[in-house]
Amino acid sequence: MISFAVVEVGDDLPPLRLTLSTEQVRAYAEAANMPGGRFMSDAAAQAEGLPGQIAPGNFSLALFGRLLTAWAPAARLSRLSATFRALVRPGVPLIASAVVTEKHASDHGAFVECDLVLESGDGDRLVTGTATLAFD
Amino acid sequence: MSVPVDRSVVGQEFDRTTFPPVTADDILAYAAAYGETDAGWSRPGPDLTAPPTFSFSLRGSHFMPKNLPTHLGRHAFDAGKDIEIGVAVRPGDVLTAVSTVHDIYEKTGRTGAMTFVVFRTAVTNERDETVAVIDQKMMFR
Amino acid sequence: MILDLHAHSDASEDSRAPLETYLKWLQRKRDLLPIDGIVLTEHRQWNPAADYRSLEDHYGILILRGAEVETEYGHILIYGVTDEMTRRFDFANVRLTAQEVVREVARMGGVAAPCHPGRPTIGLCEHYAAGKPPLEGVVAVEALNGGSRRGENERVQALIDTYGYGAFGGSDAHLVSLIGICATEFDDDVRSTEALVAALQGRRYRPVDFREQVRAARGAA
Repeated sequence: MISFAVVEVGDDLPPLRLTLSTEQVRAYAEAANMPGGRFMSDAAAQAEGLPGQIAPGNFSLALFGRLLTAWAPAARLSRLSATFRALVRPGVPLIASAVVTEKHASDHGAFVECDLVLESGDGDRLVTGTATLAFD
Repeated sequence: MSVPVDRSVVGQEFDRTTFPPVTADDILAYAAAYGETDAGWSRPGPDLTAPPTFSFSLRGSHFMPKNLPTHLGRHAFDAGKDIEIGVAVRPGDVLTAVSTVHDIYEKTGRTGAMTFVVFRTAVTNERDETVAVIDQKMMFR
Repeated sequence: MILDLHAHSDASEDSRAPLETYLKWLQRKRDLLPIDGIVLTEHRQWNPAADYRSLEDHYGILILRGAEVETEYGHILIYGVTDEMTRRFDFANVRLTAQEVVREVARMGGVAAPCHPGRPTIGLCEHYAAGKPPLEGVVAVEALNGGSRRGENERVQALIDTYGYGAFGGSDAHLVSLIGICATEFDDDVRSTEALVAALQGRRYRPVDFREQVRAARGAA
């Protein structure tokens, strides 16, 4: 299990590789109280001027959360941020990755900072972000 | 035609919602929806807590203020979020979310000129502990 | 001498990279990213009071400053920002007139260089292709941008060949781990903003791309 002591700046977290299905996107949107048409079907999304069904931005955040907490289950995710640069669509191979960019400890606790990227299989960065993990 | 950004709504509270108590089923359904496998978040039991992104799924009575400036454009897209995550959410917690307009600004990007409105939602539990502070950037064009 | 000519610290609203963390990262990755300095080009703003000399001394990395502004021809990087320029142009205005920016910045002793020219809407290529008059006085464009998508950097070569622009590179980093992945190699020493402006006008430089070796190093880890 990862501990603060062994983490080093530059460490790459094990990436998450997946391809979302239309059903997964729909299921997440429903579970996350986001019933907007653009998340439900190609037709509804196209009616809004989109190329087809898209995944909610929150889904990318949830995937980042999963990546981080799987790597450091003993740590607490204390901050998460993301910029949604491009549409995340079902059927497109995705790679969620993270790298440790900073670690610092003080009287307030021990923290690890990470950069986050969700990219398509072709290497386009769809979502970028950062996270702070607190090792209490 | 250039329209000055109308910042008169910045600081305005537009939603305050107290939700029904969180249930174990809510938590499990949310975790399953994105493939969460951590036992603490995905299996029923007395130690079940919600994953840290659970609070993003709260939807108040008003997603946006009713009186947003009319020149913003017809389409709105989630452009990103900045979240400070506080205490864990447990079954039975009663959460309250208060949303305000935090900022408005313009920029240009691949899809042209855009106005960004930042909505800040502060989520607390019944013990008045901070569950999350969520800054959501909505892009209008 | 290698400088990253296009980077955003957390002073830009869409960046999450503290400046000092950039510097620590570059120090640590020196073997992979031989970057001698960076130019902070924050979006739509200029802070005349910012002073990073102590950080430069501590980390041994040159820190210069510019700005990225927005015009009807796309985004433009301004190097050699002066008080006179900030009085002449509101950097927060997303509808600046590109020809005025290029001409006036040059008159005031700086260089205004279109960035990510191959990017849709906010890059020069599309505006020229749409028939807009070519901008007069452009000396260089960002031929290699670390944040561009597939095909966008490649589109710029035709622009350079047609108009004879100088070609430079920058990471357009908004995250710590992306600093320096693209940069510019100068034949001459560049130790100040004035030297940078003179160098960009002189054309003895070229873009350099470290993305593949960064990717390979991460894959091997």
